Amino acid sequence: MQNNQQKNSQKTKLRPGQMSRPKNLNLFTIRLPINALVSILHRATGCVLFLILPVILLLLQLSLNSAEHYETVIAILHSPFIKVMLLGLAWAFFHHFFAGIRHLAMDVHWMTTLMKARYTSKVVLVLGALATLVLAVKIWI
Amino acid sequence: MLIELLTKRYPGMRAWLTQRLSALVMAVYSIFAVARFLIVQPSNYGAWVDFFQPLWWRIATLLFWISLCIHAWLGIRDVFKDYVPNPSVRDVLDKLLVVSLWVYLVWATWLLLA
Repeated sequence: MQNNQQKNSQKTKLRPGQMSRPKNLNLFTIRLPINALVSILHRATGCVLFLILPVILLLLQLSLNSAEHYETVIAILHSPFIKVMLLGLAWAFFHHFFAGIRHLAMDVHWMTTLMKARYTSKVVLVLGALATLVLAVKIWI
Repeated sequence: MLIELLTKRYPGMRAWLTQRLSALVMAVYSIFAVARFLIVQPSNYGAWVDFFQPLWWRIATLLFWISLCIHAWLGIRDVFKDYVPNPSVRDVLDKLLVVSLWVYLVWATWLLLA
């Protein structure tokens, strides 16, 4: 039996421990349900928020350092390009926040049937968009 | 009994629970931070420094940051587990992750308490 497996793995050039299983790497052939969309966005936004951590610390340090540096930070945050970036990051935060609350709710077995999960997915997407919209209005008006 | 369940019988449960508890701490702080920012509305340098002056606020912010580092460690580690199949590459990335989070934690502690 083991011998057979070895022969098999030699034939298909698999690394030890790797099983042969069907792969479908063409992402365009996979239909992404709305709960999967919310889930993968939760992960993606988490990565983005992690990557931006040093920038947040740097801005916080500068803004508290001296009045001049504070003005510099404010000037940076007021440039249109940075404002758009800021909105993108804010959306990442809002989505991660609301999707995280949804995951916590599901951990305590709340809203776990498929229909309810689809519904809360929509709620999460709408809340994230709404919060970003409110912020956009606030920083542009 | 809970401790035994978490640590001995199902070791993965500890990471799972830690991820959720740190998330709760951050969620509570985030709501408070937004509310406090909207109430105080610091609009100049003096007001901004005053915003971070109270010791309780700095400690709360530090608690948030500690939770953030733990949360990010578990989260990004899972991302590496899923997308980086090569064990030695993943090991290097894991170490980079831990080092960067320690740097952020020391940096934030210095910023808030020094």
